[in-house]
Amino acid sequence: MKNLNEMREVYVAGIGLTQWGFFEQQECYDFGSEAIFKALADAEMGWNDIQAAFCGSVYQGTASGHQAIKEVGLTGIPVINVENACSSGSSSLRLAYLMVAAEIYDVVLALGMEKMPRGPIPSTAFRPWELASGFNIQVGNYALETVEYMRETGVTEEDLARVTVKNRKNGAMNPNARFQKPVSLEDVMASRMVAEPLRLLHCCPLADGAAAAVVCSKNKLKSLSRAVKIAASVITSGVYGDGMPAAGIASSLQFPPEVGILELSAQQAYQVSGYGPEDIDIVQGYDTTVPSELWGMEKLGFCKKGEAAGLLRDGKFDLDGDLPVNTDGGLMSRGHPLGATGLGQICELVTQLRDEAGARQVKKARVGLAHAMGAGPNSSVTILTR
Amino acid sequence: MGESNQQQVPLKEGFWTSGTPDGGPRLIGSRCTNCGEVYFPKKPKGWCLHCQQQTLEEILLSPRGRISAVTVVRQPPAGGFYHGPVPYAYGLVDLSDGLRLVSQITADDLDSIPVGGEAELVIKPLYQDPEGREIMTFMFTPVA
Ligand SMILES: [Zn+2]
Repeated sequence: MKNLNEMREVYVAGIGLTQWGFFEQQECYDFGSEAIFKALADAEMGWNDIQAAFCGSVYQGTASGHQAIKEVGLTGIPVINVENACSSGSSSLRLAYLMVAAEIYDVVLALGMEKMPRGPIPSTAFRPWELASGFNIQVGNYALETVEYMRETGVTEEDLARVTVKNRKNGAMNPNARFQKPVSLEDVMASRMVAEPLRLLHCCPLADGAAAAVVCSKNKLKSLSRAVKIAASVITSGVYGDGMPAAGIASSLQFPPEVGILELSAQQAYQVSGYGPEDIDIVQGYDTTVPSELWGMEKLGFCKKGEAAGLLRDGKFDLDGDLPVNTDGGLMSRGHPLGATGLGQICELVTQLRDEAGARQVKKARVGLAHAMGAGPNSSVTILTR
Repeated sequence: MGESNQQQVPLKEGFWTSGTPDGGPRLIGSRCTNCGEVYFPKKPKGWCLHCQQQTLEEILLSPRGRISAVTVVRQPPAGGFYHGPVPYAYGLVDLSDGLRLVSQITADDLDSIPVGGEAELVIKPLYQDPEGREIMTFMFTPVA
């Protein structure tokens, strides 16, 4: 394998983010093309500058990226559709990054978009007998992991609720989020039980929406001052023995892994970037259910197992804390348009690193990390720096 | 199960056997003759993911295990693939063979299924299909 450290530097030149929510009158290509137009404008480029496009989505069907691009320009470039569950957007970013790093292309578009299906959702992430057995309920699968996590760490339901409260507070300052209203600890604890111990307000809402990034080499940047460098863009898949009920996998009792999928993606991202957890100023975590933000912080190496809830209580992960997490409100506020989520995280990191986040701007953010995972399983870690 | 006049159909063929010497149903799995890893359901290609070799043999799994995690699901899963009752309990069951599996947990009171408690295999109807047949599946149930 080529050493990415020896390849050329890759930058995010522009980002585009649509409003996330439920939009009956718009189709996926409407959000997708809007995100592309915004990213091009932000990069001060035109469609003719784009040499290749990677388009992430999960439920949009055949050649959905082409449908969005058809609204923007027809220039004969390769358009590749990327389906990689909830890491589809970050997978598109990785492919765009690799193409530029390897000097195949100089300017590449990464797109993530989703209009969540309104009717039954055909799932290939579980076997038919597992679907019939009721094992494809992701809240339930995260609940099983949460039960084990709470037993091993002593984390309480109230600790979980604090993640929601923090994220919804941040989301109230994000005009693109689906939910822009804060909630109280009492609201979370009183919300209906979905799958013990997870309540409705422990779980992220779904959404429609899109996000895009124009990725390029240094010499193609129109503005160096607003450019953000991609220090690492990593994706890993399942590791033998590592349990993840959300991917239909129970852990091996006899052969537990030395390094799980999430830890592996973090290790690789730290190795490629040369940064460690101590260098990271801001995190976009994966709060598909709130406990996964907590164990995510631990597995990403920011603290030891069982310590995240205490650090959260102490305010470390607040906007004005030492290590702000999910500054845009996370999946809990933004909502979760599966294929767009990974790039939505990137848009927030870029906005923060540029010092353009307005009311939710954190102080002195120079290095940011985004983590997403999902069915497959997949785990993606991106590190950006200014 | 003999009392029922209704036709009973397994959710999937080859998941369990009822004709064992001790009489009770047993799940059919695979065990690696090289490393000892155990799989459920049985891996039809005989391929051990752990060893990366075709070293699996068919075994009948222990009908007893320990519930290591359980949740009670209070809304139907998305997609319309699940036709069983809601709420339902499911969880992780650790068998003495050294295998953790995902299974529905059946109990009179779903809210008091003890984590860490012993459980035993039962074959039960999950739902009735449009032709009126009972679709049977494996579950674990707590034992006192
Ligand atoms: Zn083996």
